[in-house]
Amino acid sequence: MQKGEMQKEEIQESRIQEDIKIAVLRIEGTNCEDETVRAFRELGVFAEAIHLKQLYSDMIRDDEKRRLADYSGIVFPGGFSAGDYVRAGAIFSARVKSVLRKDLEDFIMNDYPILGICNGFQILVELGALPGFDEDRPLAETPEMVLAINNSNRFECRQSLLKHENKGKCIFTKNLGEQIVMFPVAHAEGKVTFPASAEKAYLERLIDNDQMVFRYVNEDGEYAGYPWNPNGSVYNIAGICNVKGNVFGLMPHPERAFFAWNHLDYPRNEIDDYGEGRLIFQSMIDYIRKLK
Amino acid sequence: MAEIFKKVDAPFSLYEVDILAADDESLQKISDELGLALNVDEMKRIKEYFRAKGRNPYDIELQALGQAWSEHCCYKSSKYYLKQFIFNLETDYVISAIKEDAGVVEFDEEHAYVVAFESHNHPSAIEPYGGAATGIGGILRDVVCMGAQPIALIDPLFFGMPETKHSDLPKGTKHPLYLLSGVVAGIRDYGNRVGIPTVSGMIFFADGFLTNCIVNVGCIGIAKKNNIVPSRAGGEGEYFVLAGGLTGRDGIHGVTFASAELKETSEEESRGAVQLGNPIMKEPLMHACLEIVEKKLITGMKDLGGGGLSCAVGEMALAAGYGAKVELDNVPLKEADMAPWEIWVSESQERMLVTVKPELVDDVLYVFDKWDVPANVIGVTKAEKTLEVYFRGFKVYDMEIEFVTSGPEYCRTYVSRKPEVKADTERIKPPSDYFEAFKMILQHPNVASKEWAIRQYDHQVRGSTILRPLQGRINFETHGDAAVIKPTESNKGIAITADVNPWMTSIDPYWGTASAFDEMIRNLVAVNSIPHSFVDCLNFGNPEKPERMGEFVESVKALGWMASALKLPCVSGNVSFYNETPYSAVPPTPTLMGIGLVENIRRAITSYFKSKGNAIVLVGETKPEFGGSVYAAVTNQKSSLVPRTDPERLKTYANAMLESFREFEVLTCHDVSEGGLAVAIAEMGIGASLGAEIDLSGIEGEVFVKLFSESNTRWIVEIRQSDLEDYIAFMLSKGCKAHELGVVSKRELSFNDRDFNLEIDIEKVEKLWRDGLVRFTGW
Repeated sequence: MQKGEMQKEEIQESRIQEDIKIAVLRIEGTNCEDETVRAFRELGVFAEAIHLKQLYSDMIRDDEKRRLADYSGIVFPGGFSAGDYVRAGAIFSARVKSVLRKDLEDFIMNDYPILGICNGFQILVELGALPGFDEDRPLAETPEMVLAINNSNRFECRQSLLKHENKGKCIFTKNLGEQIVMFPVAHAEGKVTFPASAEKAYLERLIDNDQMVFRYVNEDGEYAGYPWNPNGSVYNIAGICNVKGNVFGLMPHPERAFFAWNHLDYPRNEIDDYGEGRLIFQSMIDYIRKLK
Repeated sequence: MAEIFKKVDAPFSLYEVDILAADDESLQKISDELGLALNVDEMKRIKEYFRAKGRNPYDIELQALGQAWSEHCCYKSSKYYLKQFIFNLETDYVISAIKEDAGVVEFDEEHAYVVAFESHNHPSAIEPYGGAATGIGGILRDVVCMGAQPIALIDPLFFGMPETKHSDLPKGTKHPLYLLSGVVAGIRDYGNRVGIPTVSGMIFFADGFLTNCIVNVGCIGIAKKNNIVPSRAGGEGEYFVLAGGLTGRDGIHGVTFASAELKETSEEESRGAVQLGNPIMKEPLMHACLEIVEKKLITGMKDLGGGGLSCAVGEMALAAGYGAKVELDNVPLKEADMAPWEIWVSESQERMLVTVKPELVDDVLYVFDKWDVPANVIGVTKAEKTLEVYFRGFKVYDMEIEFVTSGPEYCRTYVSRKPEVKADTERIKPPSDYFEAFKMILQHPNVASKEWAIRQYDHQVRGSTILRPLQGRINFETHGDAAVIKPTESNKGIAITADVNPWMTSIDPYWGTASAFDEMIRNLVAVNSIPHSFVDCLNFGNPEKPERMGEFVESVKALGWMASALKLPCVSGNVSFYNETPYSAVPPTPTLMGIGLVENIRRAITSYFKSKGNAIVLVGETKPEFGGSVYAAVTNQKSSLVPRTDPERLKTYANAMLESFREFEVLTCHDVSEGGLAVAIAEMGIGASLGAEIDLSGIEGEVFVKLFSESNTRWIVEIRQSDLEDYIAFMLSKGCKAHELGVVSKRELSFNDRDFNLEIDIEKVEKLWRDGLVRFTGW
């Protein structure tokens, strides 16, 4: 490492604020925790990847035991939790529900933010935290939507363009205007699907409640079919928040567009230091700071 | 053969094998019966050893020797030539080459990159999905066991022609498209699940791969230098901890199966040799292993790959100068009734062996337990260099480790094949229709977009991929030359490419291999990286046949010639022989994986055109060299003139190119390879939906040569018009040829020469190129 960078790292460490603590929850198969933790640390807050067992298991040594209440934000990262051999996110969410249901409900009721990226979105849906229409019951008894298998019937990795359409409810996108951002997608199960009988009503509720956050568009900002909408999501939905705006799930990966160097290989206007993904993490931190 | 195999009176299956009384014929029978794949001479050595010991061996002991002395484990056919030609190059930045499971090379003051490359051919031919998946699993373990975090996966794949008719398939052979989709799905489902990006590779189709597909898998990792873990114990009295998946009957005789030709009946006979992968055991296993490395809890680590415990325990102990004592009872099993020999040689996946000082064992077991990874103490190191294995109170194995690991080394006879090039009688003709020829080249599956496979792999997980395998306008991307990863906090990057053209190597193993090396350097240079090291995966036919051995020797010679002149160290690799069936042998396939260092990732160069009006320059010399070319294939012409190269010239050009990237703002760079200049320009345009107006009159020779020849050591660059004159003058001053080719234009791709014009809309070019593979695979 160069000398200059070493100093930079030291400075970085010293400005980490311990008052804001972010937990990135992992089990076997979650695999985007490192870059997610990195995103928060880069913004000067404390973040750590913790294994679900650290929150409840007796076998964990004292120095590694953790409590959800000690954190001011939670992230369910991307990956293939428990292999996703059944419906994506189902196992992780079942495990969370069995040991942390009450803690998680309190967390949401107390206005703390929860972010789910890709597999994390799938987990939040399986938990009943999204679409999260009922403010008083932050985790619905049964899932109200599903992230179904892509129309292409396979895993696809590509860049996606997202139009930000939230009017101010979602606390994770406060730093975004009416703009189009590029976050990569990489998933096999990302098609937002509602029960056929309720589809229209749910879409209306999402719009009326200002829960719609990101929709897939093409280069001209138009809603377009495949491959711009990579999975066949209804209404081109890429990400939604709950009715309070403090739980947010999206299939694309903002942590993969955190730095400008995350996307040096496609035509762009200018090179900034940061990519557009940073705005999500920054908005979340700004919100927590005000919460304190 | 009741008289040879005597059941021992024990509460489990154990046989004493009467080797002392066996004649040559019986020795061969024993080898066959036990599936040892050892020949009579090798069996005689074993007989002598046990005669000196004054007893007969148990089946488990013979099995262990069969594993240790297999081609796969001891490189008995290749070592002699590898040492002679490739392993003699030392550079000061190589920390460890060849000796361990993976090569370790300095990345910066604090970090090293770790690189491994292997074949998984036989299992993939039998069971493509599982074979490829466990290939990924194995290569990850090779990197993790050095204490490194894997950061990238690379997989070059080779299959028979996709249009092969089912009725033309030899008996016992699976269709190339079936194999392709199975292998890609296996890589996808394993690589994506463990969260390591698959960033590079290749897919090549040739008839010679019909009965033997080639599946090579590579992995690069990054480690702090002081965290590098040796594959050996640290001292006497240390515990062996076996961690990871349970041990079962899957993957028994994997290495001996890989050390013989495949045949019609391989599927039924060897299905059990294919291991079963479980990425969701591997993912936490990697975390746990890296955690015990970071906490400095272990002295050594080795992955359980070929040969299973039988290879890992002995090697870890012996490398440190010790012996070992093992209790097989402590190995957790999938099936309770396994015989000791099965436990000992099983290649069940997702297992790692670590050595630990006794006082730290609890800490190590805690970490594995936290990750829900089974882990058990199975043995201990001891001063005397013997290996003793116990099972239910019986001593079932007792041999000197040095004998077990002293596999034979052969200097096999070989016959070299050097095609004679008769320039005059072998004149390659121009196409009857240029448009048709260009079209056929663009949609040839070896040229066409590999998007179908690439998009199924997560190439961006870990958030550190700088240059993806697909680059350019979103959803219109083109192929990149090399992927670039940013492994640490610093702005330094690692460039990765995989290259070989089996059409060329099958015509001329020597020049084909030299061409692969040239292409590897070109790709690394094209993204503005300094070539730093390489690894090879040498896939060949049966080495016992002199002509196959000849191909191997020629190939290795060429590698040595190129590598030593460029001072590029070969830091790891793998030899895979017996890629042969009674029907045919594979073309010589020395797959090369090149690693380059990018000084500043922001200066990495991409392969798609940037804007209309910019100047296009060809760097390098174009000659009529069509041996193994796509042009020869689509026009049905034969040429034995495989493109030549010269390491000194390559060095001059590579250095000049890299210097020109510092002197000028080079906007785009792409190497010229399959399909020649015409395809290179097309690919640059496709990624930006831009055309080009090309004037070929500045280049010497006939039009089809200029367009389609695959001469080595060439690149195409895009620069601003204002830099054009200076750029060409600069290249000339470095002793390199450079021609102005034309300008980037709006839509039309046009190639012009005196009395020649070929025009085609870039959208049409793109369609041909993008549909070339998916017309077979479907989307």
